[in-house]
Amino acid sequence: MPIMVLPAPDIAVIPLQQHIGAPCEPIVAVGDRVKMGQMIGQASQFICASVHASVSGQVIAIEPRSLANGNKVPCVVIKNDGRDEMALGTKHTDLKKLSASDIRQAVKDAGIVGMGGAGFPTHVKLTPPKPVDTILINGAECEPYLTCDHRLMVERAPEMVQGLLAIMKAVGAEKGIIGIEANKPDAIAEVQKVIAEYSNLSVASLQVRYPQGAEKQLIKAILGREVPSGGLPADVGCVVSNVHTAIAVYEALMKGKSSYERVVTVSGGAVVDPRNVLVRVGTPIEDLFEFCGGFLGQPEVVICGGPMTGWEIKDLSGPVVKNMSGVLALTREEAAFDENHPCIRCGRCVDSCPMGLTPNLLGEYSDKGMYSEAEQLHLKDCIECGLCSYVCPAKRALVTWIKKGKAGLAAEKAKGKVS
Amino acid sequence: MQNKTGPFLRNPLTIDRIMADVRIALTPAIVAGVIFFGWPALKVLLLSTLSAILTEALLLRAPLTPKGIFGDGSAAVTGLLVGLILPPTTAWWVPVLGSVLAIALFKLAFGGLGHNIFNPALGARAVLLLAFTSQMVRFRAPFEAVTAATPLLSTRSFSWPLVWGNVGGSIGETSVIAVLLGAAYLLYRGHINWRNPVGYVGSAFVLALLWGQDPWYAITAGGLLFAAVFMSTDMVTSPVTPLGQLIFGIGCGVLTMVIRRFTSLPEGVTFAILTMNALSPAIEALTIPRIFGLRISQETLKRGIAVTTAAVVVCAALFVVLDRSKPDAVPVFSLGEYLPIGELLGTDDYEVVDENGVRYFLVRDAEGNPAQTAFVAEQGGFNGPIRLLISLDAEHRINSVSVLDHSEDPGLGELATRPEFLAQFAGLDKGSEFALGKDIQGVTGATISSRALVSGVQRALEQFDRTFFPQEEAGAYADGTYHAQVDSFGGPLELEVVVSGGKIAAVNVLKHSDTPGISDPAYANVPQRIVTANSPQVEAVSGATVSSTSIMKAVQKALDQASGDTSAVTVEERTGYAIAVGDGVYRASAEGFGGELVLDVTVEGGKISAIEVVSNSETPFIASQAFDKLIPAIIEAQGPVDVVSGASYTSKAILEAVEKAVSGAEPALVEPEEQQVYEIAVEDGVHRGKAEGFGGELVLDVTVEGGRISAIEVVSNSETPFIANQAFNKLIPAIIEAQGPVDVVSGATFTSRAVLAAVEQAVSGEAAGTEESEDVFVIDVPDGVYRGSGQGRNGVVTLDVTVEGGRITAIAVVESQETPDIGGKALEQLIPAVVEAQGPVDAVSGATLTSKAFDEAVRDALTTKEGQ
Ligand code: SF4
Ligand code: SF4
Repeated sequence: MPIMVLPAPDIAVIPLQQHIGAPCEPIVAVGDRVKMGQMIGQASQFICASVHASVSGQVIAIEPRSLANGNKVPCVVIKNDGRDEMALGTKHTDLKKLSASDIRQAVKDAGIVGMGGAGFPTHVKLTPPKPVDTILINGAECEPYLTCDHRLMVERAPEMVQGLLAIMKAVGAEKGIIGIEANKPDAIAEVQKVIAEYSNLSVASLQVRYPQGAEKQLIKAILGREVPSGGLPADVGCVVSNVHTAIAVYEALMKGKSSYERVVTVSGGAVVDPRNVLVRVGTPIEDLFEFCGGFLGQPEVVICGGPMTGWEIKDLSGPVVKNMSGVLALTREEAAFDENHPCIRCGRCVDSCPMGLTPNLLGEYSDKGMYSEAEQLHLKDCIECGLCSYVCPAKRALVTWIKKGKAGLAAEKAKGKVS
Repeated sequence: MQNKTGPFLRNPLTIDRIMADVRIALTPAIVAGVIFFGWPALKVLLLSTLSAILTEALLLRAPLTPKGIFGDGSAAVTGLLVGLILPPTTAWWVPVLGSVLAIALFKLAFGGLGHNIFNPALGARAVLLLAFTSQMVRFRAPFEAVTAATPLLSTRSFSWPLVWGNVGGSIGETSVIAVLLGAAYLLYRGHINWRNPVGYVGSAFVLALLWGQDPWYAITAGGLLFAAVFMSTDMVTSPVTPLGQLIFGIGCGVLTMVIRRFTSLPEGVTFAILTMNALSPAIEALTIPRIFGLRISQETLKRGIAVTTAAVVVCAALFVVLDRSKPDAVPVFSLGEYLPIGELLGTDDYEVVDENGVRYFLVRDAEGNPAQTAFVAEQGGFNGPIRLLISLDAEHRINSVSVLDHSEDPGLGELATRPEFLAQFAGLDKGSEFALGKDIQGVTGATISSRALVSGVQRALEQFDRTFFPQEEAGAYADGTYHAQVDSFGGPLELEVVVSGGKIAAVNVLKHSDTPGISDPAYANVPQRIVTANSPQVEAVSGATVSSTSIMKAVQKALDQASGDTSAVTVEERTGYAIAVGDGVYRASAEGFGGELVLDVTVEGGKISAIEVVSNSETPFIASQAFDKLIPAIIEAQGPVDVVSGASYTSKAILEAVEKAVSGAEPALVEPEEQQVYEIAVEDGVHRGKAEGFGGELVLDVTVEGGRISAIEVVSNSETPFIANQAFNKLIPAIIEAQGPVDVVSGATFTSRAVLAAVEQAVSGEAAGTEESEDVFVIDVPDGVYRGSGQGRNGVVTLDVTVEGGRITAIAVVESQETPDIGGKALEQLIPAVVEAQGPVDAVSGATLTSKAFDEAVRDALTTKEGQ
């Protein structure tokens, strides 16, 4: 599915928090004219990413607006003047001339976050606490339906490789490896073509297997290193970056472009014409579906992200944000939900958990509020891949409970109840 | 809006699908079971499955919608499993009770599917095994392939029939191939993984090797493989952790082998798995898998394995210790498939010897001399045969007697099968006095069964002697007349035995003080039987057992002098049938392969002159061989002959039936001389008899035609409906056929007795006023209108009675001077009533005389025989 461009929206609603961490402060006022790419919200803390206007036009409101997940957060609402006037940052031409801190600053200014889904501010990632020798690019894209990274690798491999090199430089890593699942031979071929001239870069063809794209699993598969429980990739000397993020880094450095648009996979059985769409942040999600021919009947559920780890979109008028890799409209036949039959102790969840956990017990304890018991069984090591729920013949809401358990545990810790 | 949480894709696998797959995997075992064991196996499976489904539906899903009934399909699986681990010949209520226990107690009581600690099917089996051992160890060989004297495959070594299934056992456990097919399917579908079954089978294999047993036998016999595939892998009751599954399997294997080898529990697999079920949560907790990114130290792992190993060892030891602390072992079975002779003999090092048609098990000492022998004996008990295993030491003293199989009533006859009673046999030998009150003390409440056991042991000892010391087979007694005196029931019994030509020629009872009447049949029959059998050991006369045994004992005593050897009783017992009946035709039945087989045996001049198959349900082609070959052979041999191979079931049934027929257990169908028939002292007609039944008075009408009872109808009774019906349905045709008293229907003895008494009363003419008790008019006139009259209150009442098709269809008053308001009205009421009843009806109160006149007139009309 080649990447197609969605026309800019008339009104762009740009949330001031599109990432993990603190929200950012608006630096424009209602009535201000903004240009495309201009920073409109500034990062107030270290773990925070600034946001930028995705259209040129007038700020018509700064107010809480409903996001796709139904939550209201402060947003800057811009009326598009249709002129797409660009506000470009510094364009660099030679990576070699840049220092690590230059790169980090540029990435920070461009408001780049992890575009695979988590939305972790990239400049933070580029400041690892420990020495890093290898950067991995996650091209596994192991969740069904999602193809945006795949297409980006096919169409924009050179940009991605440049981005990778920049990241390597930023953290001082010598090696860069692009891990791609073996079922994407065209992407492997493209990337291989591009990296031929770099001796320190390589492509790792990965077994097709969910959740190959989960950070820890990817590191294990490519480098054979195991991130310790509770640790970070930097603990084993590496940093993992998403394909799209690497491209965003390239664009920030070489084109002076901030992070205000991205490629989103629009798919699912209820979509007439599934596509990969380049879309401005702040575009209502419903525009994406409309661009793809609308729905075939009533979708059973519309989700953001992949079907395994994604979440339900409750408000289709909510805006596209930086870490939205896909929106899927699933039919009744495709989608499945929790039914919560009693656990028959078949052990499938235990067998399939990539983290070696006992999801049956984690789910049970979390659901019952026995957070410390769950913690002893390493609740916090769960990567929420959803595989346990997927395989469970009793259709138990294992991941849902585990997520709830994590939140509950954090709350108890905060209250000091659990030491 | 309801939250929809991810993942939004789910594996299509559901619990229903898993249960369906388990049913599919069980199919080969079901098919094999039904092929090998036939309809009884299917019946057991249907009963267990339906009861399980119904129990679950009733207890859990009150609205009986089809979906509700089938639920998630797990009840059906449990029911099937319960059925598959039962022997095919078990009573109908066993699978039902098993399934109810499994579902209600072992599943729902724990909180339903997923919450139960113990495997429901095995839990139920454990209860059944302990509570109804005899029902659980009834088995029979599949098809008709096993021609051994006992259906036991006691060789303890591997054989191919074990693999494809031609051995006795529980329904689902008989065919290794069928079980493996199921396993393959479950593995393919991913419902089980290799760890648990491989751990189970592997550890059993290794232990068998270590103990010098045949390892292939250890894993293919009994329910081990079935359990390893379908029971120990039960998801709910085994660990979810991979290492835990392996440990669980190994634990099951070790415990099964330990139980089989060292304890006398009736079955190894069940208790092994149930124990491991209980340990399962602990195993799981100790074998939490290695978490990604977390080094679990070798210590943790070792601790887990060490603790579980210790737990298994402790359990194994407990089984052995608890078992050893019992003074005497209870009967030992393993799934009814093989007798753990090794356990009974205390060693696995024994030989199976077949000699002179007897199979016995021989243990040799270090020098190779016979040190111990054991063999199986059978003796009729109160309800059915009791099978014994008798073990003798080198001096042929009894080491032990164990009951292998019996059908005595719990708390009654069953008392005689308990170790406390059996222990008394230890140390006895053939010189001992085998009689209750002598060397053996009977058990109160189980006199008949204890006596049966005693004489069974005695006979077995003698038979064993003949087998073991054939040179001692003297075959003849010294001619002469021998006196003997023994103590009988009422006092001393004195008799003389005349031996001529080396055979018992006559037994004359000289004196006895036993209760007249009761003991008479014994004195009338037993001496004759002894002469016929040329043996002091004959079937006792039921109802006069004490006298019977006393006679036998006395004859034995007398013969002891005759043989000059006090120890040897060397009569060949098996050469011919002891024909205990006079001339006549005797009907008897036995259970064949396909169902009941009924024979008529004609005895003429004390010999079997003809055998006719009355009915059978055998497989036509196979059974006809048995009929064609066996029957002439039996007649020629006048005794049991070898079974026809390939039709051994049918053959055995024929032999059994013939033996039954000539044993005198069944009354003669046609008996020229002394058959007990009713003396019909009344004329043809309907006669009423009454007797006191279980619930009150029982009234019946006996129709006598041509001096024979042609019909018996129960007029009224207060018996327990279900029980009494049996008596009515069985007894009445039997009485009509026998024209005399027949055996009471067991379970409905009171009613039966009442029926017999009432019939006797009716035909004896003792019943008062048969006229009045008649309730149907005898209409033996052709169709037409008949006039009759009777004396009424005011004068003659004349009626026209219309008879059509042998029935009164109308009655018209021709003349009557009865008071209109009283008698006239009565007539109006009586007419329809009589037409309906086709017989006399109760008088109309206040108009008795008119009623009487009416009745008289109707009778008069019907006897006039002159149509109008
Ligand atoms: S979501 Fe389930 S399978 Fe995935 S890591 Fe967590 S517990 Fe394991
Ligand atoms: S997969 Fe589901 S049913 Fe099976 S053990 Fe895990 S939670 Fe229980």
